[in-house]
Amino acid sequence: MHGRPRKAPVPEDEAASAAKAEKLRALQSQVLSNHRHKIYTEEALELSTRLVEINPECYTAWNYRKLAFEHNLTRSDSNPNSVKSILEEELRVVEIALRQNFKSYSAWHHRKWVLSKRHSSIEKELWLLEKFQSADPRNFHAWSYRRFIAALMDRSDVDELEYTQNLIDKNISNYSAWHNRSVLLSNLMKKNVEGFTEKDEVLTKEYELVREALFTDEDDQSGWFYHLWLLDQTVKAKSPLLVSSWPAHGSDLILFQDRCLDASSSPFNIFQFDSGTFPLILYFSQAVEGVNSSTVNVEYGSNLNQGLVWKPLSTYKSRAAQAWITHKIGKLTLARLLTAYDALMSSGKLVHSQEILGLYIDLMKLDPPHYQYYKNEHSVVLLQQVMSSRESLLSRCFHYRDLTSSSRGYPMCLRLNKLSLSRIGSFAKLLWVQMLDLSHNELQSIEGLEALQLLIHLSLSENKLSSFTALEPLRQLKSLKSLDISYNEIGARSIDTTRYLCSSPLSNSIGNEWEQDRILVDGVSMTNYWEAFFVLKGLNLTQLDVVGNAIADENFTLFLVRVLPTLKWLDGVQLNLF
Amino acid sequence: MGTSAEEPPSPPPPLEWDQSSSDGEEPSPSTSISFDRDRHVAYLEMMYQMLPSYYQSQEINRLTLAYFTISGLDILGALDRVDKDAVASWVLSFQAHPGDKNQLNNGQFYGFQGSRSSQFPLGCDGVLIHNLSHLASTYCALATLKTVGYNLSNVDSKSILTSMRNLQQPDGSFLPIHIGAETDLRFVYCAAAICFMLGDWNGMDREKAKEYIIKCQSYDGGFGMVPGSESHGGGTYCAVASLRLMGFMEDDILSTSGASSVIDLPLLLEWCLQRQAADGGFQGRPNKPSDTCYAFWVGAVLRILGGYKLIDGKALREFLITCQSKYGGFGKFPGELPDIYHSYYGCTAFSLLEEPGLNSLSFELGITDVAALGI
Repeated sequence: MHGRPRKAPVPEDEAASAAKAEKLRALQSQVLSNHRHKIYTEEALELSTRLVEINPECYTAWNYRKLAFEHNLTRSDSNPNSVKSILEEELRVVEIALRQNFKSYSAWHHRKWVLSKRHSSIEKELWLLEKFQSADPRNFHAWSYRRFIAALMDRSDVDELEYTQNLIDKNISNYSAWHNRSVLLSNLMKKNVEGFTEKDEVLTKEYELVREALFTDEDDQSGWFYHLWLLDQTVKAKSPLLVSSWPAHGSDLILFQDRCLDASSSPFNIFQFDSGTFPLILYFSQAVEGVNSSTVNVEYGSNLNQGLVWKPLSTYKSRAAQAWITHKIGKLTLARLLTAYDALMSSGKLVHSQEILGLYIDLMKLDPPHYQYYKNEHSVVLLQQVMSSRESLLSRCFHYRDLTSSSRGYPMCLRLNKLSLSRIGSFAKLLWVQMLDLSHNELQSIEGLEALQLLIHLSLSENKLSSFTALEPLRQLKSLKSLDISYNEIGARSIDTTRYLCSSPLSNSIGNEWEQDRILVDGVSMTNYWEAFFVLKGLNLTQLDVVGNAIADENFTLFLVRVLPTLKWLDGVQLNLF
Repeated sequence: MGTSAEEPPSPPPPLEWDQSSSDGEEPSPSTSISFDRDRHVAYLEMMYQMLPSYYQSQEINRLTLAYFTISGLDILGALDRVDKDAVASWVLSFQAHPGDKNQLNNGQFYGFQGSRSSQFPLGCDGVLIHNLSHLASTYCALATLKTVGYNLSNVDSKSILTSMRNLQQPDGSFLPIHIGAETDLRFVYCAAAICFMLGDWNGMDREKAKEYIIKCQSYDGGFGMVPGSESHGGGTYCAVASLRLMGFMEDDILSTSGASSVIDLPLLLEWCLQRQAADGGFQGRPNKPSDTCYAFWVGAVLRILGGYKLIDGKALREFLITCQSKYGGFGKFPGELPDIYHSYYGCTAFSLLEEPGLNSLSFELGITDVAALGI
């Protein structure tokens, strides 16, 4: 149905068309009648041939032919010539069908089925395939069939590899040939076939081959995707690694409560806390499971701490997460974190980041359809560069002072504003941050921010956040006191309520909680604000800024005051205590 | 002014972030070329009333053509053109029923047949001589029934689901008919959608199906129709939609960092995004021309993953408009005559683009949200 070109009907064809339809109906009922009555004569078979020629996807006809084939084969098993002719006839019919539609699933399947019965005409198949593949090298049915025949003939992967080489030599942009090369090479390397045991050598040869492709036509995607795959084979990190932790391994931590900070103190090891407890955070290169006190050792001073309960930081109730947290109860003056279960990855110096950034900027200009994607990648690399060294981070640390009282201080603020960031990427190096300014960027999502468990003050003002759902990571920031989400795009687009209000099994996060806590404020249904409710209700915010969002109106203010009992400042205005 | 001993202490003054206002962004100009809804309704309505003679050869897939037509009208908000009761009766007439419960274990699949012409009369003992129930036809039947608002609890689900297990292969894939045919991702999808719509996963072994799907992911991130096959837009849709329906993939998974996934997500995302070509349309595979239907197959995958905002919607829309036919409907390539298949997927693509006036889609089920929820 998919690849069938059609011409516009012309008046004189109408009559011919109607006559043809009449014949088709008659043909169909005859074939089905033969099928039902198990009539497998030559005449009957010929009718079915005509049917598959008209519609190669007519599975009833192919089913009938399979039954006929087996029936006739059984009847003439003693006569080898009969067997041969039955086989060849069947293959001939498939060819007829394929000529009508060489992408017909049923036709290709029937051919496989016939050949899996008897192997006599296999050599011809390779020849046939070669003809097919020069006419259309992208036909994936033909490739799938080729793999089937190669297996049947016991043709070696090495020979097949050579075939792909021939095709690539003829036309270097043959994506299907490259694809098949990747499959064959994977097999050869996995089975340690002679000549393919040295992974480095094999990959080096492949790199040379693909480099030719890239030079011949740099716009052609084949070479690039294959190159990506080669890189993946070369650099594969099988197991997850512990990327960072807070407090950092082997660090000394200074804790303070309220006094004003000396401007020269380094923010990395200083922690302002007032609750008597603070968290320990582990950050891995990918989501992991099984972080518990038997896999992780924590030592402070000379005491080995046992029985800590680790919790995964994940927005869904899954057992795996990239960031893990535990709380140490009791006072600590110094903390040392012993090596965790996996070795620490040595942090590489970001030598090439400037080059990479330039490349992404070029890509944004040269490949406009994928602008947003490159922009995100650019943001990620830019941030990596910012975070690559202590000096770089320190240059962005800013000391806020309480203007009214010199005795009250704020923790050091990391300013990452005005960087055109559309995505953040990894938070591994930011676990120590207690005050973060991400204003004046282009963020549409804050995925991963839940790892910054020490955050007290956060500004996301002047970004492109379009819903409270995008702010979901904030739910996990139990220490958050002030939040600025002013001048975003929350509420600009209507929410698709049908997706969530009815508890669909597909959306497993919200549902039940909303039912229990639904509130009515002054007669105004809070249905419009369920997203905000879900995100905000567990937080202990004292300060919130929402001005400049479409959702911020009087009703919303009423709602906020109810949902955030600890709130003291809203949009810079002091709230009266009720 | 009395003593202030009882006055609550004033709260600390608010934190003053540096709030300089920035320049507002200019809104993008709305496209002037329009989606010709009325003409598409007329085209589909015509197909609903009577299929042109050149569709005779597709007779065996009549149920599928009906699904395209009726679901298409639903997306366009024109379901009033359809006689829902008549459609429901017609669809139900294709269901193959076992003689008695014992027959459910005879290895046959008792679902829906694709057309009257593949439906054999009952034998004199009331039993089907040839049962040609097909998974794809069953999917289309259930989807169509849901679209016209038929309550699926009235359908004999037990027969369908119990016998559907006979179609699942040891490697997790599915045959579409018990008499034998090719097995590939299309039928895994049909099976998953059928179980989902009937609200019962006893019809298949989800774990095995998941294993099969994982084996279909190719080195470049997309999914081929069978393990080892080249990545393909249609195969990728079947894989991702199946995983989502079966509950192996979370909602909006790309927005959740650290979410573990059974498949390679970043590579998949990259592959899907690269399917948008310079002309704005989507191709089914690298180095192939852009084709209307892949705007749905690949676009829906991006929607399911939560990465749809990364495409160039404006360019896609412009490409699709060039495939829009002045006779109503959509063709495969720009300027081509329309056909039902591409007309349906053209409409779904515009629904993905949130074209005003079109009903929203359940991306993983291939019917409107309203139909999926059974409201």
